Amino acid sequence: MHTPDGFLHPWMAGGFLVLSCLVLAIASRRARESLTEHRVQLFAVVAAAVFAAQMLNWPIPGGTSAHFVGGAFAAIVLGPHLGALAVALVVAVQALVFGDGGALALGANVWNMAIVQAYVGYGVYAALADRDERLAAVVGGWLGITAAAASAGLQLAVSPGFGGEFLAVVAVMAGGHFLLGVGEGVLTLLGVWLLDRTGVDAEQLRPSGVRA
Amino acid sequence: MSVRSFARVRWQRRSLAGLLGLVLLAPVCAWAAAQTGYAEPMDNAAELAGVASEAVPTGLSLFSGYALPGLGPRVGTLGGALFGTALTLVLALAVGRLLASGAAVR
Repeated sequence: MHTPDGFLHPWMAGGFLVLSCLVLAIASRRARESLTEHRVQLFAVVAAAVFAAQMLNWPIPGGTSAHFVGGAFAAIVLGPHLGALAVALVVAVQALVFGDGGALALGANVWNMAIVQAYVGYGVYAALADRDERLAAVVGGWLGITAAAASAGLQLAVSPGFGGEFLAVVAVMAGGHFLLGVGEGVLTLLGVWLLDRTGVDAEQLRPSGVRA
Repeated sequence: MSVRSFARVRWQRRSLAGLLGLVLLAPVCAWAAAQTGYAEPMDNAAELAGVASEAVPTGLSLFSGYALPGLGPRVGTLGGALFGTALTLVLALAVGRLLASGAAVR
């Protein structure tokens, strides 16, 4: 999911950097209104957990592997604005400290994994939570990562290097993550459950307790 | 709140224990993923379009991968996971405190 430097046209990379900064600036303004000491600590734990969980690659039969991305998990636990900020911080650390994802492509990667995944995942979760909260977390995680992958696929597909392979690239990215995304959905539910088991204030885990 | 005061509450201690568990799993999963040839869908898309070789390593990053240099793949990955998780925790605390103080000032 981490786009390296060299894949995107520089103008596109720059455009997504500006766009992501704008969205995160708005998210920061919205999120800080609900920031208590407790939520600051929860924000830190969730960000660290997303980083650590993204390092766990699990083998998939057929010669591929996948890892938890965590955008929907962070958004469900923290609310979409703070959730997006948590994953954006993780993506920045991955790129600037560990070289996972390009520095020039940082804006595009933040857009895909932090913004698209968090807001789509949270939107799906919020829409379904009244009916079945567990199912809502699974579907939110699943569709969140699929949307993020489709966004990354579109970015790649319109880049000059990928010219002529538009449908194939989008299909590989979105289709691949649509299948792998089931695991993301299950792990999203598992993450929310495990965090709840730590004894963190249950009110912090409810979307109604978060100013979205 | 300082970083030192972070683990005073039960949920925080349990969360930190969970984070440590994830960190300890990192080298195991890295080894297991390496056995499969590790190709994410983006790698497959790049291969399909014939641009896989156009990926440029990020010259700005502190390290060139998750395994810390000079420690070998397993210990290096464990060290990278520990360092990255701790760094993210501390940075997120700092960012959260900064945002909260901005709200308080307004």
